[in-house]
Order: sequence, then C-alpha cells, then structure tokens
Amino acid sequence: MAGVNGPLNGIKILDLTHVWAGPLGVRFLADLGAEVVKVEAPYGRGPQQFPSTPIGGWIGKADPEEPWNRNALFTKLHRNRQSFCVDLKQADGRNAFLELVRVADVVIENFSATAMRSMGLGYDALALANPQIIYVSMPGFGATGPYSERVAFGPVVEPMSGLTNMLGYGPDEPRNSALAIMDPVAAVHSAAAVVEALRQCQITGAGAYVELSLHEGGVTYSGPWLLDHQMGHTPVCMGNRHPNMAPHGIYPCLGQDQWLALACVDQMQWRALCGLIPGLAQESDLQQRQKAADDIDRKIRAWTQNQSKAQASELLQASGIAAGPVNGAADLFADTQAQFRNFFVPYEQFDTPVPGNPIHMAGLASHQWTQCPDLGANNHDVLSQWLGYGDAQISALEDAGVLFNRPPD
Amino acid sequence: MVERVLEIGGYAAGYCGRLFARAGADVVRIQMDSVGPAWASDEAMSAFLHGGKRLLSSADGQLIAELANAADILIVEAQTANALSAMDFDGFSTPVKLAMTPFGRTGPKCNWNASGNVMLAMGGYTHLMGDPDRAPLSLPGHYLEFQTAALGYTAINACRMAGQHKVIDLGMFETLLALSQFTSVRWQCAGEQRERHGSDFWYVVPSNLFVCADGWVYLNIVPSFWDPLTVFLERPELLLDSRFLTNDLRMENREALHAIVGEILAPLSKAEIFARAQACRIPLGVVQSFAEVLDDPHLQARSFFAHSNARDVQPWRIPENPYCINGERRTVGLGPITSEQVPLWRA
Repeated sequence: MAGVNGPLNGIKILDLTHVWAGPLGVRFLADLGAEVVKVEAPYGRGPQQFPSTPIGGWIGKADPEEPWNRNALFTKLHRNRQSFCVDLKQADGRNAFLELVRVADVVIENFSATAMRSMGLGYDALALANPQIIYVSMPGFGATGPYSERVAFGPVVEPMSGLTNMLGYGPDEPRNSALAIMDPVAAVHSAAAVVEALRQCQITGAGAYVELSLHEGGVTYSGPWLLDHQMGHTPVCMGNRHPNMAPHGIYPCLGQDQWLALACVDQMQWRALCGLIPGLAQESDLQQRQKAADDIDRKIRAWTQNQSKAQASELLQASGIAAGPVNGAADLFADTQAQFRNFFVPYEQFDTPVPGNPIHMAGLASHQWTQCPDLGANNHDVLSQWLGYGDAQISALEDAGVLFNRPPD
Repeated sequence: MVERVLEIGGYAAGYCGRLFARAGADVVRIQMDSVGPAWASDEAMSAFLHGGKRLLSSADGQLIAELANAADILIVEAQTANALSAMDFDGFSTPVKLAMTPFGRTGPKCNWNASGNVMLAMGGYTHLMGDPDRAPLSLPGHYLEFQTAALGYTAINACRMAGQHKVIDLGMFETLLALSQFTSVRWQCAGEQRERHGSDFWYVVPSNLFVCADGWVYLNIVPSFWDPLTVFLERPELLLDSRFLTNDLRMENREALHAIVGEILAPLSKAEIFARAQACRIPLGVVQSFAEVLDDPHLQARSFFAHSNARDVQPWRIPENPYCINGERRTVGLGPITSEQVPLWRA
C-alpha cells in the first residue's frame, strides 16, 4: 500500500479534501511518493444516479454502471490514492478515523471553518490522538476573522483579491477569469505548506496546525500590485497589453477563433520583429512603442491574420521572438513539447490520458502510478494494514453501516 | 542548522526564495542586470520578493560557483534550456538543485523564447478567458512564475526531508497544464472543448459579474445555493418559476435570470450586497480596489499584511504567505539586507 516511488515515501496522509483546490494539492504530494488515504463520505462522490453528465464527462462510456466511480474530473485529481469510505458522523466511524490519525503524519481538509470541529474532529481532538500530526485546514476565508463563516469558492474570492482591477478589456470592462483561479493557487501552496510543516516536525518533533486561506492566496498573488499602489503608482487594467513590454498582445490568425500570443521582451526581439513585419520602426524604444501601440498592433494583426497560429509561431520563434499559439484543449494534446516529455499519461481506465506531474527528477516515474480507486475500494486494506484490524472487526463495521463502497440508496 | 539557499533568476526564482526566507533559511540572491519585464515597478517587486534575503550583485562566475557548491539548495530560473546550461548548472555540486525554465530542459521547444502571455496562451489558459466574440484575454500578473515556484519549493523540501540529492527539472508550460481544471478531461471524456464566456462560469447559473451602484459583485451559485439566492434577491417566487427549477433549466434561461439578478443588484451598494450575502449565506464576492484590499477588515483582523520595519523605507504593507503554521505569520523585514560583502558559506 506504500505510495509510488518518491522523496515523500513513508509519509502517511489522510485526505479529506473535496472539489478542486484540496485534491489537486494532495495530488502533487501523492505524485512525490506520499501514501495517501482518501477518507470519503458515503455521498462524497455524489449519489447513485447522477442528474446530468458531470462537467468533465465520464471516464469510459456514457451512462456508466457506477457513475460515482467514473466522473472524469474526480478521477483526474485522485490518482495514487487509497479510498476509505466511512461515515464520520457515527461514533464507530469517528473512532476508526481517530485510530488512523494516530498512525498518520498529515490530515488535510478543505471544509468550511467549522465543519471538522462540529464533528468533534478539530485540530485539538486530532492532536490529542496524535501530538505529532500535521493538520492542514483550507477554509475559503481562513478559520478566523469577520469573513470566516462566509461561503467561499474560487470565483467569488477572486474579485476580493485585487486581480479584477487588472483583468479585463480596460478599466471599465473588468472580467472574472471564470476559471476559479484561486483554487490552483491554494492547491500548490497547500502542498508547499505540508512539506514545510513536515520538515519543521522533523526538526522539532512537534505537530502543527496549518491554516491556508483561499482568499489570502489570491491577495498574495496581487502582492506586487498592492505594493505599487502604496508606492503611489496604482496599476491599471491594460487589456492584453503590459506595463513594461510593447508590443504585447493576442493577435488573430487564419481560421475561426484562432489566435497568437506575442511579446517583445527586449529591444533585440523588437528589432527581430521589425525584420519580419513591414512598416515597423526598428529604432523605437519601449516608450515610443507604447505610444504607438495601436499602430503597431494593427500592423502585427495584418501580418498574423493571413497565417495559421502554428506557422506564425514558428516564424517568430525562428527569429528569436517570444510567440506561441493560443491553445484550446485539442491543441494541448497535440503539442509536440507535451508529447516529447510524455506529459499526458494514459494510465487511467480506458487509457484516458490525464495531466501528469510537472516535477521531473530521478526516481519519479508515472508508470508506477495507480488509477483513481473506486469508492471504498481500500476499506479493508486500510484498516488491516494501517491498524491491524482483523476480518471480523472490519465485517462488524461493514454490517453496522459504518463503511461503504457505494453511495447509499 | 539554518539552510543555505542560493537564488539565481527572475520572478519564479524570487518567489521560491521568498518562501525559503520566510521559513527561516539564509537566502542569498544573485542580483542580475535584467530579469525580464515585470507587472509592477522594480521597487514593488523587490519589496514583495526579496525581504529577508541577502543580495549580491556579481557576475563573477567563480564566486557564484563557490556559493553554489557551498549551498544546501540551488534555485535557478533561466529563459531557456541552453541558458541554463550556459550557467554551468550541471557543474554545481549543491545537494538539491531546482531548474525552472519555460518549457523544461528537454524537448523540441526547450529553447523557445517565452513570456508570460505566451506561456499562458500555450498552456491553455488564454483560450478560456475573455468574451466569446472578442480576442481572448491573457491573465495579468506573475501567476505562472509564482505557481511554478511554489511547486519547486514543495519538491525541494521533499528531497531535503528525505535526505536525497536531486536535480529537479520544472517547466512552466507543464505547470500550467497540470493546473488545468477540467479542460483536458472534458475534451478527452466528453468530446467537448471548453470555451470562454466572459466572466460567466457558464456551467452553474447564475455565476457572473454584476454591476451595482458603486462597482461590481460576483455571484457563484452552485445548485445547492439556489434556494438561499432567492431569499437574498427577495424574490422567493423564483423557486417556483418553471424556467429556473434546475441548474440545467437555469442554463437554458441564463439571460432571463441574469436580467432579473442584474435589475435587483443595480441600485444597491457593494456594502449592502455583501452584508445581505452574509446574512443569506450565499457565495458572493465584491470587486475590491487595491485600496480596499489593503484596508479590508478581515485581512487586518488576521494580521495578513506585514508592516515593514526597515529603517530607510516607508512602512509598506506586504502580503504574507497564504498559509500560517501554528498561527505564526512567517514575516521577514522589508527590503533586502543589502551587502556587497556577503560572507561566503565556506564549507
């Protein structure tokens, strides 16, 4: 039951996270070799019958027999895990969980600020069971403060981070990313926080309570702008332009909704661009280019719109200019760089390719990865191997309706 | 023992070093003439990234090699794989070495020229942002660099904890691909390409930016919050409206519902809407200006901003890490502890 090979071998994580930020953060830790048990509620993957196709579709055929196990988005986030499905609202379930906490290194959850406490499973209770436990809590607005009981999802936290001042077609046309972009910010920082706390525990021998706020992740991201504002130069939304690069934009190419991203990072790249696109003034410096941005953009558009985004990218790159296609989903899988580095890995059921691990180092290999387990698939193994439970003890929990391997009727 | 970290490179290296500085490491940053154009002033970038580090302005290869070989951790960000090699990255004997490059160290594009907007475009983000009938929008700021850096920090600490000597190859392009929400599986498993829809999250309705009396607010009403939304809107009869009974129906009747929500919110202030959202427990955020973010009572109550204690600078408020351990904010003083005479970490 050990994790895949990696530097986190020997680290045991109980993963109670859900939706996106938490599971994604834990995925990085699992890919680095941690042994992860996903502690799931009976309805944690949804009901027996889904009202509609999930947002990422199904792994395998449509209308699968066990839809809760074939949700592609869930599957993508949960490789290299064991599934332990238990009702924590029952005393026996809670006790079994606390026994797991005694032998675990990390517990991580992203419920609301009060959810774990209300089940009697807050940090104090867990630290009583295991003083060395690293407990990571990821409530949207943090565990304290006037907003701590507010409902928080990535898209509603984003405008409170400052980002919306900068994202849009101009100061009067703000936009939300609509990508819940604060979730991946929280995800990578949760992984960072876990290893930092583990290292601290390695030195001090003491456990830790780690608190991560989705909201503060967003504000950290806006940090340089917040400092600029205090220094007297408040940044403004520039559409696709950049305060210190020109040209810098997204330009149309041949075909429906086909685009190219281009930036002249320095004077050398500008001169190279002048060699490719007619009518540009080679000697213009950054300030002059910013003043003439509308005219420069028009000339670049006139050049790009007669070429495919791939062709234009290749030509610009050959001249040393930063440029690349605006890729849609299909393009990502076709990208030669992603293919060369075997980034998308078809190890899941039905050989469905899923995003791999961007961290490359000796000893990590995706061929060892395990598929997302079915709900409760490892109930027996977890209890017997982590806690030494016998068959009779496990059967008693199953018979008592504490353990599950499918959502209740 | 305090760990010795040598940092070379731009904003990704700077952010990775920032995380180490806040964790108590001795971080020495090699200051370079140019690390590429930033989204903020040099002063702001430096205040955000380099507090608590020691800065060394030197291009002396021998000195850098000496520091690298004596460090526990080497963080290098380079513009291309070839540029990384030119720094003699492989020659350094540092136990854990992190290389951050746009496309990674191998592959047909490992020497492509990159910028943030190019990477975000190639990594699938830009296609999804902005209005459907206009040019897509590139995400402003240093998301790409900071996210890559935090992953690098994770990998480095994992190796240090295990006592393993490793070279870590981390490409920003792959970082973006790894952080996709459902773009890739929706294409592979549902056969549908995710598209951009302005500020509308699209798959749950209403989830959009709405104008109000003094700005904008964002609603994100996943199905379980539909009932309280009708209370929030003071329109309980919407619960019985056949156009809005399910999320699928609300998707079909999106424009009608947006019009109703927009009409109700338009005359209200951000503060009124925010207070009402809390009372009704619905997911809603208000668009805050930078001044409002800095003065936000919640962030202040949580001591999220560190106040600089440097002698010769203004008392800026600096955003700290989004996580704290045992209630501690890992703050460091603002501004680098500048010294041209960095004591070498001689073994």
